[in-house]
Amino acid sequence: MEKMGIRTVRKINFFKAGMIFITLIITALLVLAILSLFLVPDPVDVWNNLWSEEMIFSMKFSLITGLISTLLVMVVALPIAYTLSRFQFKGIGFVKTIIDLPVAFPELVLGLCLLLLFGNTPVGKFLKLIGLDFVFTQAGVVAAQFFTALPYACRILKSTFDYIDPRLEFVSRSLGYSQRETFINISLPLARSGILASVVIAFARCIGTFGTVLILAGGTFMKTEVLPITLYLNISYGNMGMALTSGIVLMVISFFAIYIFEKAEVSL
Amino acid sequence: MSFLRIENLNICLKEFHLKNISFDMEAGDYLTIIGPTGAGKTILLESIIGFWKINQGHIFIDNVEITNDLPEDRQMGIVYQDYALFPHFTVSQNIAYGLKKKDRKADESQVTEIATSLQIDHLLHRKPGTLSGGEKQRTALARALIVAPKLLLMDEPFSALDPKTRRTTRQLLKSAIEKNGTTVIHITHDLEDAWSMANKTAFFKEGNLLQFGPLEDIFFRPNSGFIADFVGASIFEGQVQERLNGNSIINCNGFSLTSLDTAEVGKKVQVAVRPESIIVSRNQPSSDISAQNILKTELSGIVDEGRSCLLDLQINGSCINGLVAKNTVSRMNLSIGDTLFAIIKSANVRII
Repeated sequence: MEKMGIRTVRKINFFKAGMIFITLIITALLVLAILSLFLVPDPVDVWNNLWSEEMIFSMKFSLITGLISTLLVMVVALPIAYTLSRFQFKGIGFVKTIIDLPVAFPELVLGLCLLLLFGNTPVGKFLKLIGLDFVFTQAGVVAAQFFTALPYACRILKSTFDYIDPRLEFVSRSLGYSQRETFINISLPLARSGILASVVIAFARCIGTFGTVLILAGGTFMKTEVLPITLYLNISYGNMGMALTSGIVLMVISFFAIYIFEKAEVSL
Repeated sequence: MSFLRIENLNICLKEFHLKNISFDMEAGDYLTIIGPTGAGKTILLESIIGFWKINQGHIFIDNVEITNDLPEDRQMGIVYQDYALFPHFTVSQNIAYGLKKKDRKADESQVTEIATSLQIDHLLHRKPGTLSGGEKQRTALARALIVAPKLLLMDEPFSALDPKTRRTTRQLLKSAIEKNGTTVIHITHDLEDAWSMANKTAFFKEGNLLQFGPLEDIFFRPNSGFIADFVGASIFEGQVQERLNGNSIINCNGFSLTSLDTAEVGKKVQVAVRPESIIVSRNQPSSDISAQNILKTELSGIVDEGRSCLLDLQINGSCINGLVAKNTVSRMNLSIGDTLFAIIKSANVRII
């Protein structure tokens, strides 16, 4: 008997194929854009620029201000996020909107708001009186970074606390621990992945903040010059080598930040 | 003097309201709370321990008002259905957590002792994520019991366990609380929990306490058709036809039931009969039997309930459930359509 062959035609899933196609096309474009930053400049030129006085100042200053801002962001974001996640009070919806608002509006507008606040308003005058001058100063860089990164850290930490079963805290309190002790013993250790993720994202936002820093602290050469300002100043002067080098440094920092964030998110 | 006194408790949480709850418990009482989902059972438990703001009413322990005390000052333990073990601690650290707060110098021997009594002493170094449901539940019980709480609150602690583990855990818990004389409030959907553990039962529905009292009252003297139906009794609408020799004769849609309960002649009533109160026979019993209710029925369904079977018995368009041992079905060779006589003592026919 002749052997009968049965051919099965596998139907193409156009929905799935379309989705994957769009994802891959955009990924390829991004990879090309990133690679062009690394491939276009001369490596020797990049290496030399990396050790220039301006670049060393910019990297050092970015690192120091970034670390200080991140620390301040975390000190404030933890209580804010815990409050928004756990407590109910009148006007909580308004508070949530205001805390999130800087994510939605342009950095330049945030910078402008801060410039006005820290300028000749009673708040600005009072802060100057106690020695805190943020307008066109290095402290202003920290302030600009702080306000830019804060909503991102708050969002990540709030999601983290939302994810922790409040009954764990109930049980801890029923066993004799106060709310503060419960926060330290239970909530904080369980939020460690979220805390790491928000530290990384806050640091990356601080290092990469441009518009807010430019408006509040000014883009002053070797004074308030963080990496994005270096890129901007050198583009303005037509010094592409320095601009590209600061771009590469920022890209490397962002890459590691996102990599650590993804790792932390997986273990959440 | 009551140990726990709840007075006119009212709690409003968005759409949900717990309304005018009042009851008393003696020290050593074991109260089971039953009722449909959304009845407010968990909210009540979490309010007693202090997690929700009480809008109105009072809670007393040993005649001392604790309504506004912080949860950490109330000396109550809570055990949840999904255990709520601290995932970053080992079993040993979970159990010792409350003990260390109570007594900084407490040694590990107490942890080992309670772990041994609950048969989890071999798991002390493990993290909760690696334990089975029964092991997690026993860890949660050990953690709550080690601090000797004045009142132990449990929210469906056995519902996620398989029947065998549930029975074992129930026994272990019973020994542990009897040893310490712990007063317990236990929310459950499993009526077996109530039968095997409790001496009092409360029935909640939509934020209201419908009935509170000895377990037998809820099961055999439910004060509403809803409770009777919930606890598995068959309910019939009827009218009291006459009073005869101290019994009430109730006409229920074409058949009569005799009850020891009293009711006015002519009054429309509901009658509840529990499945386990019914004896079935293939042959009509002789007239010298003590039971006064002998109903001719048709078997319309057999529902396997594990160790027992629930029989659906049709009588004039109404259905009455009878509970028999599983082997009875094969021993009597029961099959759908059989004619069976349901025999019920008048003491087991309750007028609601």
